[in-house]
Amino acid sequence: MYLSHLEAIHFRNLSGAIDFSPGLNVIHGANAQGKTNWLEAVYLLGTTKSFKTAHPREAIQHQAEEAILRGTVISGHLSRDIQLLLTRTSKQTFVNGKREVITRYLGILDAIAFTADEMEVVRGGPDNRRRFVDRGLVSTLPSYLGTLAEYNRVLKQKNSLLRSASDADDPTRFFPMLEPWNDQLVALGSEIHVARVGYVEKLKAALQPQLFQNESITVRYKSSLEGKGDLGDYPKLMRERLEHHLKNEIAIGYALVGPHRDDVEILCDGYDISRFGSSGQQRSALLILDLAQMVIYHQILEDYPVFIVDDIDAELDRNRIEILLDTLEGSSQVFISTSKRAIAQHYRERAQTIEIANGKVAAKVITN
Amino acid sequence: MLDYAEPVTKLIDEFKRLPGVGHKSAQRLAFYLLKATPEEADRLIEAIREVKEKITFCSICNNLTDVDPCRYCDNPTRDHTMICVVEEPYNLVAIEKTREYHGLYHVLHGALSPIRGIGPDELKIRSLIERLRPQDDAPEVEEVILATNPNTEGEATANYLSRLLKPLGVRVTRIGMGLPVGSDLEYADEVTMHKALTNRHVM
Repeated sequence: MYLSHLEAIHFRNLSGAIDFSPGLNVIHGANAQGKTNWLEAVYLLGTTKSFKTAHPREAIQHQAEEAILRGTVISGHLSRDIQLLLTRTSKQTFVNGKREVITRYLGILDAIAFTADEMEVVRGGPDNRRRFVDRGLVSTLPSYLGTLAEYNRVLKQKNSLLRSASDADDPTRFFPMLEPWNDQLVALGSEIHVARVGYVEKLKAALQPQLFQNESITVRYKSSLEGKGDLGDYPKLMRERLEHHLKNEIAIGYALVGPHRDDVEILCDGYDISRFGSSGQQRSALLILDLAQMVIYHQILEDYPVFIVDDIDAELDRNRIEILLDTLEGSSQVFISTSKRAIAQHYRERAQTIEIANGKVAAKVITN
Repeated sequence: MLDYAEPVTKLIDEFKRLPGVGHKSAQRLAFYLLKATPEEADRLIEAIREVKEKITFCSICNNLTDVDPCRYCDNPTRDHTMICVVEEPYNLVAIEKTREYHGLYHVLHGALSPIRGIGPDELKIRSLIERLRPQDDAPEVEEVILATNPNTEGEATANYLSRLLKPLGVRVTRIGMGLPVGSDLEYADEVTMHKALTNRHVM
């Protein structure tokens, strides 16, 4: 799949439209001209999420009521017009001019973004890594989103009950009330555990461990129940741990047992990269994982998501940029932004370079 | 200053208390009534009064009724050995429409939801257990069908009840879940399809 055309209306400082190349697109220009905003627009149009903000409504221009992103996505011989309408209170999705539910909209233009915030996957808390895996699963296993949403809902109910129990004089009367929520946590938690373990195994098999450096990168799903018993029979083990921690959970007032406490270990020559890796190693590791995610996506869906790298020269050195672009060439549509004219010049041979000034296209060079 | 004369504002405020009614709808309803004839307004007032005066909850099953016990509980031709447990009276109506279930009902008036402060004591559970005790003049209950909604709260309620009722020696069953009949597979969402595949059976 690739985005052949994108138009932005009342979205941040952007105006006009851009026609993109199915291969490499280099967006360059001085600072604060709107390079990142165009990349954000690509990502937002595809995923309905922004990599810059949790509240995309902030991207609507002040004097306007709504912002519109409109794009044409080509997959094989199929061309589809998709549109995202942002208002101050809602997001609406359209396909070929007709309103479409979000579950059927997502997947038309899938995107992976390598941004400064995304680095949290390798150096931040476990929640970032769980989200990384969950995102990969959702795009390749649609029913997983429902399972995950249900698990979180049950967890919220259980936590609410645990808070009441920890404040109560006689917590034992809450035991029977907790059981039905634990039943569901075990059923849904086991599904999540199996899906995530399977996905991380696939990641491990798909990643190129030494793509950017001599040190070798690998991943491993680290269940919070590891070392507590037989993970092969997860439902039984989770039930045992729930019983074991019943009183602790009531004392502390929130749920202690389940896949919401799991982590994904990212190892660099056997060491935990979030603690011992240099920032260069961390960047390499994240790129390797992103690329592995694309391989899995392709194995299952026989297509590639688009790949976005914001501010590429700030994040990656020349050598890594070269390797990354070589790896992506011929498979995925790529969008990169840079403030350095020299970098843009360097890729003129193999890319479409687009200069952005004041939110719109100032100059465009098409070579491929 | 109020936007409208006080009686109008008061009416709008009352409508806004109703579930599913926001400010705009409340305003529309109020203005509809302002334009209506006195007879039309009286009809509505009378309908509300009548429902409040005549409709009560059945002392056995908690369903809405104008006679106590209700017409289901009092009907000797229904199968008194079966009780179907539902969350709300309108769930009962949905089952009754099939004309295939001939047992009795029990309405819980909700489902377990700690977030909304609803625990077992807020539901009509105690009276359900009462009904399972052997009584001299009535046949013993042999089966309880749990027909709470297929969402996390309904599922938790069913689980809770099943643990509570099984030790009493009664057969506890849960209604089946899966694809809607009469439509195409393509209309099923991923979660329903996933559950239907997981719960497949040998033919």
